[in-house]
Amino acid sequence: MSGVVALTDRGFTRDLGAFVVAVAFNRAGSQAAFGLGDGSVHLAPIGAAALSADWARVEAHDGAVMALVPDAAASGFASAGDDGRFIRIGAGGGVTEIFASGGKWIEQAASVLDGKDGYLACAAGRVLHLFSAAGARLRSMDLASTVTGIAFDGRGKRIAVSHYNGASVWFTASTSSAARVLTWKGSHTGVTLHPAGEAVVTSMQENALHGWRLADTQHMRMTGYPSKTESMGFSRSGKWLASSGADAVVLWPFFGGGPMGKPPLELAQIENVICTRVACHPKDELVAAGYADGTVLIVQIASGRVVMLAEASGVAISALAWSPEGGRLAAGREDGWAALFDLTAR
Amino acid sequence: MSESLIPVTVLTGFLGAGKTTLLNHILTGDHGRRYAVVINEFGELGVDNDLVVDADEEVFEMNNGCICCTVRGDLIRIIGALMKRAKKFDGIIVETTGLANPAPVAQTFFVDEGVRAKTRLDAIVTVVDAKNLAAQLRDSAEASAQIAFADVIVVNKLDLVSAEEITAVEAAIAAINPYARLIRATRSAVDVTAILDQNAFELSRILAFEPDFLDHAEHGHSEGINSVSFEVSRPIVMQKFQAWIGALLQEKGGDLLRTKGILDLAGEDRRFAFQAVHMMADGDFIGPWQPGTARRSKLVFIGRELNRPQLRRGFEACQVPA
Repeated sequence: MSGVVALTDRGFTRDLGAFVVAVAFNRAGSQAAFGLGDGSVHLAPIGAAALSADWARVEAHDGAVMALVPDAAASGFASAGDDGRFIRIGAGGGVTEIFASGGKWIEQAASVLDGKDGYLACAAGRVLHLFSAAGARLRSMDLASTVTGIAFDGRGKRIAVSHYNGASVWFTASTSSAARVLTWKGSHTGVTLHPAGEAVVTSMQENALHGWRLADTQHMRMTGYPSKTESMGFSRSGKWLASSGADAVVLWPFFGGGPMGKPPLELAQIENVICTRVACHPKDELVAAGYADGTVLIVQIASGRVVMLAEASGVAISALAWSPEGGRLAAGREDGWAALFDLTAR
Repeated sequence: MSESLIPVTVLTGFLGAGKTTLLNHILTGDHGRRYAVVINEFGELGVDNDLVVDADEEVFEMNNGCICCTVRGDLIRIIGALMKRAKKFDGIIVETTGLANPAPVAQTFFVDEGVRAKTRLDAIVTVVDAKNLAAQLRDSAEASAQIAFADVIVVNKLDLVSAEEITAVEAAIAAINPYARLIRATRSAVDVTAILDQNAFELSRILAFEPDFLDHAEHGHSEGINSVSFEVSRPIVMQKFQAWIGALLQEKGGDLLRTKGILDLAGEDRRFAFQAVHMMADGDFIGPWQPGTARRSKLVFIGRELNRPQLRRGFEACQVPA
């Protein structure tokens, strides 16, 4: 890569001792949380305090954390586990149960907050559960196969899930449980929604992405990945869809008619090393990316310029998230290594 | 094969054959090993194991043009999630429902790179009810398929049948699949080491034992599933074999349940092991030929409508010219 700037002194790391499944910041940006494969969630304060202070360890799940998202409130988090519980974790580490499945793994969770309206969602097997921000169950939707991903659009107007043979979309405020079903044969393993609700995109078992433009249900095929896309998201403007699954950050254009028939932008290539996680910056057209060799970097979409945050370690990055104001980045690895990078001006 | 790959045992068998009893026997056995168990019905299994996973058998078709390329998507997810857990285990046991076809489970381990990177399919173990197998073979295609796919078959409920019946049951099994190892049992009480960690899918173990080829050939009539095997003496030309087997699996893969072989490739000192489940094939070099032994290539097909002369001619044509 050319034009690489190293900022590897901006992070500090801890060894949390188990697979980092997910990482998130609370909506106020005052706390980061790391969800692990041993069922614990670790709460880190933001700023200088994170260096010295103990990170609170919350015994959140008996088993493994499967999903971790910010709560639909200024502070706190929501997590789901293979103990069949969907819980809220307060800023102080207090746990309250939102939903229990009775044993079935809760593999997926999502949240959204726009102004004072927010939602939480989780999925256990073939059932999607939608909750108010306060945690009251609003609706439960039965699907024909297991829910493999949940996404809200930017304002929480729509919720989408992926499953076998496509995706389903609902309006959150609707009382009807009938979904708009987007069909494409195959196993869809994850989903994301365009921030303005223009498109739904799923990742697929066959190393490809599939999209549907919501205005006219136009299909969008995005192929060419050497491995499965496990992580994807739209840039803040909605112009680009960033994705993992290749030895670069793969960005598909969602302007000027969409990605059909166009080659994607491939940035921050590391030859023969698969990008495992991407996270689009909440304000600027920047993407953070983690790789199978442990590299963490940021790339500017317009210029392709790279800022290196963590050098290769040999262990794959398994979780990556921006703070809401975009000044901090959290990353986790399969071996329990956790990092917080401070990118605010000093 | 990497030692760090977690072995996966697939447990099949009709309802009432004794699968759950066998599972309990494995999980409570005094072998010092921990197993994660993927089952389809919670509750049915009254066993104390904190690694029991409730799965929905979700099969999907791959978009690769193979009509028989079906895969268990739920297993891909579950195995991925199990690998993130801090509590480690020595193996995974996947129990299928009584009427399930084992092919999608086996194919999952060929298709998904993430699954392949972390686990290896160890063996397909089928439990049969010695008393009722004959009737099940008559009434159901799945019973024959479960025997055809098996690497190990537990002939269970021996206390309920006579010596003559045992002989008849084992002959019925051999007519479909003479390559599976038979273990006789009563109330599913078997030596766990005879079932787990078999490396049956490891290429070096294929055809490790030598069934009596002629004895069992061409007298199976269970749903038309039987087996044929061939042996040739001149070295095999890799390009010819690939072209032939590739076209054959593409065309007849639906009927070819399992294909396994050891090949003497022209110009190679190592043995080449080949195996396929329906259309999905895999092959690699294994150890060298033993000095002093005859290098002969062997190929076994287990499936339906096996055209013996045609398959023989095809395999023979892969040899270097005489």
